Amino acid sequence: MRDDINVDKALDLSGLACPMPVVKVSKGIKEIEVGQVLEATTTDPGSLTDFPAWARTSGNEILKTDQDGDTIKFYIQRKA
Amino acid sequence: MDLETRNELLKLFKTKLNQAMRLYLETCTRCGVCIEACHVYASTGQVKHIAAYRSEIIRRLYKKHFKLRGKFWPSVGEAKELNDMALEELFEAAYSCTGCRRCMVFCPFGIDTQMLMSIAKLLLIGAHTEPEILTLLADTSVEKGKSIDLFKEGFLQGIKNLEKQVVKKWALEAGETAIPVDVEGADLLYVALAGAHSIIPAAAIFNAAGENWTLSFFEAVNFGAFVGDPTKTKLILDRIIKEALRLKVKEVCICECGTAYRVMKHLSGTQPFTVSSITEVHARYIREGRIKLDKSRFNQATTYHDPCQIARNAGIMEEPRFILKHLTDDFREMSPEPEYNWCCGGGGGLVALGEETLDFRMKSSRVKADQVKETGAAILATACENCHTQLDNLNDHYNMGVEVKFLSSMLADALVQDGSRRVQPI
Repeated sequence: MRDDINVDKALDLSGLACPMPVVKVSKGIKEIEVGQVLEATTTDPGSLTDFPAWARTSGNEILKTDQDGDTIKFYIQRKA
Repeated sequence: MDLETRNELLKLFKTKLNQAMRLYLETCTRCGVCIEACHVYASTGQVKHIAAYRSEIIRRLYKKHFKLRGKFWPSVGEAKELNDMALEELFEAAYSCTGCRRCMVFCPFGIDTQMLMSIAKLLLIGAHTEPEILTLLADTSVEKGKSIDLFKEGFLQGIKNLEKQVVKKWALEAGETAIPVDVEGADLLYVALAGAHSIIPAAAIFNAAGENWTLSFFEAVNFGAFVGDPTKTKLILDRIIKEALRLKVKEVCICECGTAYRVMKHLSGTQPFTVSSITEVHARYIREGRIKLDKSRFNQATTYHDPCQIARNAGIMEEPRFILKHLTDDFREMSPEPEYNWCCGGGGGLVALGEETLDFRMKSSRVKADQVKETGAAILATACENCHTQLDNLNDHYNMGVEVKFLSSMLADALVQDGSRRVQPI
């Protein structure tokens, strides 16, 4: 549980550079059920634009984005 | 495969049949000069990885469907039907070829295997059997272009965090804005990759050189080109062209990404700006005395891997050597020389496919590992993200014992920070 979000799967993508965070999150989201939530942690600043664009393309939804220094956490709900 | 699908695929095939492509398809004499040219064949010894074999897969389909003799007398010239089995062969041929064009350098007729493989990739897209992740990455890039206003805020926040790192490491050179973004009237638009490693050292060098620059909102890499989709390649490219025109820059500088540079340089058409690779820009700064370097920073033997898309396919071979001459007294050239340099084995989208292709990438690039080891170098520099990732993987797999470094990072680490922007021209 992160705040009010139930996390069903967590992926640590720290240290990975583009395109690996998107590649891995695309695979990771398929490993949870529709409606469940994936937490993806990245240190790649590009993910701040890559992930929202990927979510729009793939039909999934980013529920929340948290930034703490260089670490970025995305909470992504599988929609499709 | 049903008839309708096959006809649709043949329409796609026909779109690729310009004069050059027909020449490539009709000229091979099976002389065999290309056999040893492919790093995949040289590393694995498998016949299916000979350049002429790959091309023959396309050529037989061409004969069957576009040549009269193949249509009516298919057994002569081994014409072959486009069917599901052919698609499997096309996949294996296209995604085991990195598009390095080393075979083309050896071919007496200059047959461009990479161009022939672009037919295979287009047919795979038409049949929806291309690597799904490459299309997803291309679509993500296209989406960013369409909806950039939605993503600007997040991007700018990410850049703010990076600025702190630029200021921390290169305090004297950072200036008021360490990473300028969206500056109309800047001289140079820098198109980076998403990672901090592609932005921070570049920013330090631009600032040290006193460049009037601005960072692009978009990433340089063109996944449309990797997957072989001409429409998406253009859409991804157009995002950067539109940005460059809007900001009225004089030069678009592409980061250390081979495909991004080749696509921008060769496919952007006539524009009011020039296109440069960051390696060319850095060499220029050294020549003009705009940056000063501390040669004692790197005292280990250093070699350089020429990224195929930047060197063999775009001609930038002298500049990285010029830069390295100012970074080390112990530069060791690989053998064979740059034009015939072995591909690292990571191009054509293979690195972007990640672990899925790792085993193949390692087995198919043994000759590259051997080539590096023979130099006895401790530092292996390169100027391409794909190559860097692949060389890092090869380093681990073959115990090459080198440190793989980006050329631009080496340059940034060797910057002499004296606060004065002009140094003596060379």
